Amino acid sequence: MRRVAIVGAGLTKFYRNTQETPKELAYEATKMALDSCEMKLSDIDCVVNGTAPDAFDGVHMKGEYLSDGSGAYRKPYMRHFVGGGTGVLSPIHGWFHVASGMFDTCLVVAEEKMSSAYPHPAGAFLTIFDHTTEQPLYPTLIYIFAIEMNRFMTTHGYRKEDIALVAVKNKKNALDHPSAQIPGEVTVQDVLNSEIMAWPVNRLDISPTSDGAACIVLAAEHVARRITEKPIWIDGCGWSLDTAYWCTRDLYYPDYLEVAARQAYKMAGIKEPHKEIHVAEPYDPFTYKELHHIEGLMLAPRGKSVEMLVNGHFNRDGNLPTSPSGGLLGVGNPIAAAGLMKIMEVYLQLKGAAGKRQVPGNPTCGVANAWGDLMQVGTVVVLRK
Amino acid sequence: MALIERFQKTTDVGYWEGQIPMNYIYTVGRAGEKFFREIIAGKLFGARCDVCKITYVPPRTYCEKCFARLEESYVEVGTKGTVHTFTQCYETFDGVKKKDPSIVAVIRIDGTDGGLVHWLGEVDFEKVSIGMPVEAVFKAKKDREGNILDIKYFKPVK
Repeated sequence: MRRVAIVGAGLTKFYRNTQETPKELAYEATKMALDSCEMKLSDIDCVVNGTAPDAFDGVHMKGEYLSDGSGAYRKPYMRHFVGGGTGVLSPIHGWFHVASGMFDTCLVVAEEKMSSAYPHPAGAFLTIFDHTTEQPLYPTLIYIFAIEMNRFMTTHGYRKEDIALVAVKNKKNALDHPSAQIPGEVTVQDVLNSEIMAWPVNRLDISPTSDGAACIVLAAEHVARRITEKPIWIDGCGWSLDTAYWCTRDLYYPDYLEVAARQAYKMAGIKEPHKEIHVAEPYDPFTYKELHHIEGLMLAPRGKSVEMLVNGHFNRDGNLPTSPSGGLLGVGNPIAAAGLMKIMEVYLQLKGAAGKRQVPGNPTCGVANAWGDLMQVGTVVVLRK
Repeated sequence: MALIERFQKTTDVGYWEGQIPMNYIYTVGRAGEKFFREIIAGKLFGARCDVCKITYVPPRTYCEKCFARLEESYVEVGTKGTVHTFTQCYETFDGVKKKDPSIVAVIRIDGTDGGLVHWLGEVDFEKVSIGMPVEAVFKAKKDREGNILDIKYFKPVK
């Protein structure tokens, strides 16, 4: 296998409603990524595209629809899709193409436009549930996460007011992110007093509905070294899927993530993740989910993540900064694009190019994960400089 | 940055309104036929894999771990279980506020590894706790149609 580097990246602003079509969003991110490393579309050998349910944008065969905006005109092109986990599967999918020796360069594009669906894009999730045993009960995505949060909190004795600190931290971090949709200075009381959606989940525990796109440029080592003095290497990839019968899982611990993380760490030669990883972007569509994933990534012992959060361990200037971007809770959550935004943040942090968001201490190793499908897919990427 | 500044509604800019016009008839499947026929009789069934020592509820035609066929291994599992976890939901599936918030729980059926998601009834939200014993409440026999709604809800075991 050949080494594969990220050499460029682009990200649109995230908005609740964009005027741009999905194709136009994909184009903006892709163009920005190419410009960031002074490459032309003709320098690109192949393209992969990550985008979540067709029902959001309301276009069947969304991959094919997005192909031209993603720079795939007359190029080898593939779309992948694992729900919310898509954005971190994207660089893995691109890595295959280049690591295999088949291609020297690859564009990795992720896009989502959730604002097209109404009355609410959440309605698209009804048909991810089992059609005969679950759909007749009209399950909502928020309530199955509330159910998981309750199990997580009760098992470890976590308090809701402590978990709310994730929203406080991430929305504050997002104040420094130019793409951020809902950054802000909020307090724990603001989170607790926000509208109740499904106990114990309040409005400010949740990431928003968003439109947006992201793109990274991958290159094989011999090409990467010509493009940049600071290639950032994809050193570990992991992905796994737990049972689709989500009611049979315990839910208090993300096994799907530990399996994927172990695979990625093994590939990267990481034995003690909590010491060897300097910056992390755990997937945070909900406040508790960042902590759930910090534990699943083995960056905190099970049942200890809240204590570490309260002590400032995960702040941007803490021992292990998590979601220095502002995460999905602050920057926004155009599903696939949000996952790739997290990869891009780790890339910028390792490059030392994160501007006001830069974590101190010259980090050399970072990890990002995403989660999706019916709460059971884990995707993990380890980057190093 | 080419994106225009924020606006409130998608209809504030040029648009075309469309649908994905399609309805669906989902078959319940082979294991589903067994499960829902027994539900009409007021019984819950699962499928037992003796190799993996797992009882799946609802039943399945195969074991997802070892890939054994389980169609000869359906077992009655009783109608009692415990609350594995729960929530109270204030919005409908498509984001509309509910007047009457419902309590939803994952029920672990006793003696099985399976879980059903369903509503809780005859209980106040404040009284619900993880580990609480519950049992299925079925519709009146004449009203049962062979679907999951033949169970009205689960209620606490007195």
